Amino acid sequence: MTAVGADTVPDPTSPAQGARGEKRWRTFADAVALTLGLNVWLSLVLVPAIHVGAMRTAWQIALVLLPLAPLLVGIWRRSELALLGAFPSALLVPISVTPMIASPHLYGPVRFGMVGAGIVAYVLSGSFFMAFHEPAAPVSTRPLASAASVRPARWQRRERIYWQLTILAVVCPVLGLYWVNFDPGITSFLTQMYPGRVHGMSTLLNVAVLALWLVLFLHVFLGALRPHRTGDRDLVTTLALARADAAKGRPRLRFHLAVAAALGFMALLVYLRHL
Amino acid sequence: MRRYFFEILALLLIGGSMFFFKESIDYLARRDYIAALVVMVIGISVITVGKEMARLALVQRD
Repeated sequence: MTAVGADTVPDPTSPAQGARGEKRWRTFADAVALTLGLNVWLSLVLVPAIHVGAMRTAWQIALVLLPLAPLLVGIWRRSELALLGAFPSALLVPISVTPMIASPHLYGPVRFGMVGAGIVAYVLSGSFFMAFHEPAAPVSTRPLASAASVRPARWQRRERIYWQLTILAVVCPVLGLYWVNFDPGITSFLTQMYPGRVHGMSTLLNVAVLALWLVLFLHVFLGALRPHRTGDRDLVTTLALARADAAKGRPRLRFHLAVAAALGFMALLVYLRHL
Repeated sequence: MRRYFFEILALLLIGGSMFFFKESIDYLARRDYIAALVVMVIGISVITVGKEMARLALVQRD
């Protein structure tokens, strides 16, 4: 009887069941990434491009459709690099060619907030779903004695700081973009200083804000969190390599590259001055 | 001795890179964007070399 029961009831810990669960989970993650990615593409590129008439020629249509390629490749290959790097970068290509697509006149603060929320949702969900792997169901569980005790204050403080950094990581770039596009002082300054080129300058400032944000994110936000990732095997290896690299008594490759770049660009400057 | 040599070089290079950044700002004020970009890259390269010299000064053992 026991043997028959075991055959008829699916065992949740069996490899086949685990693989099915993993596949279902992956399909769900792909569907979420595709839906949110399409939402970002529609709201940031396609609808504004139609609105400003930036889809007149085949070349313009191809540029507008370009971001779909890394999105689909990223989902097909389940690549973080494509979904979180190539796709957002590809979104900027049609905007940089036709800056009117990102014109603040098209957006307004409310729509800007909605599009921003869509982008944040895409980035957060893409990052979460790509990094999250459902572990196989355990054969048996035994509660640890420490699990019953109250979490220590230092862990509560850490978790609070992690959440604060996550919220600030969203607020900082949104504020920067909001100021560039909707602050009356900056808008009037651009109109006064660059008449006829306001859209181009706005796009340039937006790119500058994003570049500055990337630098801040890498050095400030990730910098604060990096020492806490001690359990990351890849990171520990990278740290060991970096320590060995720093202890070398000879100039590294970047030294030679920097010398070559300095000399090359000085020569270029002299050439430009006497052109 | 080598340590002090590397230290002085690092100081000179990092301090000297400030000149290039100042020049870059001057070019920007004159709306010569290409020259500003080129001078900025020179400044970054010089400060990178300075940083490398500082690192070498740190790893030298007296």
